[in-house]
Amino acid sequence: MLEISQLRVRFGGFTAVDGVDLSVSPGEVLGVVGESGSGKSVAMMALMGLVDAPGVVSAEHLRFDGQDLLTLSPARRRQLVGRDIAMVFQDALASLNPSFTVGFQIQEVLRQHLGLRGKAARERAAELLQQVDIPDAARRLDAYPHELSGGMNQRVMIALAIACSPRLLIADEPTTALDVTIQAQVMALLLRLQRERGMALVMITHDLAVVAEMAQRVAVMYAGQIVETGALPEVFDHPRHPYTAALLAAIPEHSRGARRLQALPGLVPGATDRPSGCLFSPRCPRVQDRCRAERPALAAGVRCFFPLEAPVATATATATGTGPGPGTDTVGEVPTP
Amino acid sequence: MSAPRSPTPSPVANIGTGTASSAVPSAAPLLQAEGLTRHYDVSRGWFATKATVRALDGVSFALEAGRTLAVVGESGCGKSTLARALTLIETPTAGRLRIRGQDAAQARTRAERQALRREVQMVFQNPYAALNPRKTIAQALAEPLLINTRFTAAERQERVAHLADQVGLRPEHLRRYPHMFSGGQRQRIAIARAMILQPGILVADEPTSALDLSIQAQILNLFMDLQQAYGTGYVFISHNLAVVAHVADEVMVMYLGRVVEHGSKQRLFEQPRHPYTQALISATPALRAADRRVRIPIHGELPSPLRPPSGCAFHQRCPMAIPRCAEVSPALREVDGRLVACDLV
Repeated sequence: MLEISQLRVRFGGFTAVDGVDLSVSPGEVLGVVGESGSGKSVAMMALMGLVDAPGVVSAEHLRFDGQDLLTLSPARRRQLVGRDIAMVFQDALASLNPSFTVGFQIQEVLRQHLGLRGKAARERAAELLQQVDIPDAARRLDAYPHELSGGMNQRVMIALAIACSPRLLIADEPTTALDVTIQAQVMALLLRLQRERGMALVMITHDLAVVAEMAQRVAVMYAGQIVETGALPEVFDHPRHPYTAALLAAIPEHSRGARRLQALPGLVPGATDRPSGCLFSPRCPRVQDRCRAERPALAAGVRCFFPLEAPVATATATATGTGPGPGTDTVGEVPTP
Repeated sequence: MSAPRSPTPSPVANIGTGTASSAVPSAAPLLQAEGLTRHYDVSRGWFATKATVRALDGVSFALEAGRTLAVVGESGCGKSTLARALTLIETPTAGRLRIRGQDAAQARTRAERQALRREVQMVFQNPYAALNPRKTIAQALAEPLLINTRFTAAERQERVAHLADQVGLRPEHLRRYPHMFSGGQRQRIAIARAMILQPGILVADEPTSALDLSIQAQILNLFMDLQQAYGTGYVFISHNLAVVAHVADEVMVMYLGRVVEHGSKQRLFEQPRHPYTQALISATPALRAADRRVRIPIHGELPSPLRPPSGCAFHQRCPMAIPRCAEVSPALREVDGRLVACDLV
């Protein structure tokens, strides 16, 4: 349904997104994970047409339902975005207009995209709030965003996003600002809506556990590139890219019982210090001369010259054991090329 | 457990802790809170009577040197108010706070208060806001020494260099300004500043929640290393249960200003007894399918602290609630080797 090929976003001399290929099938839940500065949000903003000057977006194609978004007229693209593709942002309070009631803001979307007006729009808006589990929905239409809690505002954002029954919903860190119990409610809500409506969902997050629970497929990003992509839980059980492995090993959950965590040294390279070889090479525990000289391409779901061994069929059975998982143990091994 | 305050590896002579350590019997715990309470009066308009928010309501615990107490709860549970009370930023409305046996409320003179404050230092959530942008790192680190000790410039410099090295900063970093550092590096600087007076107690309020995963692991390791080197007692405030499960010895779960469960990490995580603790643990996403628990559905949100529910504060969201829960506020009692504030367990 969605096919992104060689998406590139440049801000001046800085390439925030560097040749991203992604595809999403109808009804699928895809997780996009990465640390800050990995380009995961910018890539999705580019898809939505939300990257402003001086950012420059280029791609081989950005195909949605066979139409290339890049060749559409701005007016046509706006019609599509917001109706068929919708987005939920992290900070709901900042994304809603503080001067209008939430009811007005939902009705505005219904008027713009579906031509609903008056009583019909109001009733539909109340229905939407009900669908996102807001109690006393009809009365909440007249509330301003500041009168609602963070969790409630995020529900309003989700109601806005699903107002036109989109076929693809992009959620950018939708639960990061929320408390744990509210996060669980919002995750359950997103999955319920996704299933009920058969909509595709792209979850952008830095929280690997959230992705592990929600997504069927994952793309791991690092410094603007996808470094590993594949099905879940396989990728998290047996990561093949050293970065994915290191990220998983850094989770406290992974080092249970150990006094120290397996920290990944160094930082994500910034605008000025991107290495000429593999972008992960300065931090990689398995780095070799070739990694410093050449940039690897994404091949068979992993962007690495010396990926970690693919699991043998028998190893899968023990993958869910407790204690330091098999993924951790393989980090230190350096294969002889 | 009474881990001795391990000898400081610093080349500079130990910074004498003044009043705190000398006058007091060594049996007293490092930090002891008894019924710590902080209420705020909130105006509801010109003619209405003022409302009282019970941000912190009768919290008691003791912390030993070299141990970590984690305080867990969602926003509005009072964990930040607790941090402000422990660091003597705010005077509690009621209750008692003893630092090395000395009652904080009894410290009348400026010098006494200063000596106590030196024993409790704090690391904040946002390392971007916690450092003065106009001061170099060396200046920021030396300032606590300048205010609290009579060190000569050379001694200060030596101490700063030593601590900077311990938190993983290079000597050339000391001449730089905060904006030249990443979030993780800034948090290292903030930790070095908090530790430079060798406080007995460090209060860390969500110290890693603004950091990326790979950096979080670095900072948590640093906390562990420093605790081992100095025997500092940590009060570690966090909403991230995975982090808490890693760093804590003891865990205290708070809800709407009160402690609902308090016990050792093992007992709390393996067999949570309070329905809220159970819900909190079950709501935390897990990486591995084997670690996932059946999610206990918690409906609704934290009630307004201005209008707290009658009886048990959790009863409206509690899956186990019975009518009596709306009437009687349960007291903390010992169940199964930990304290629980629920009459149904």
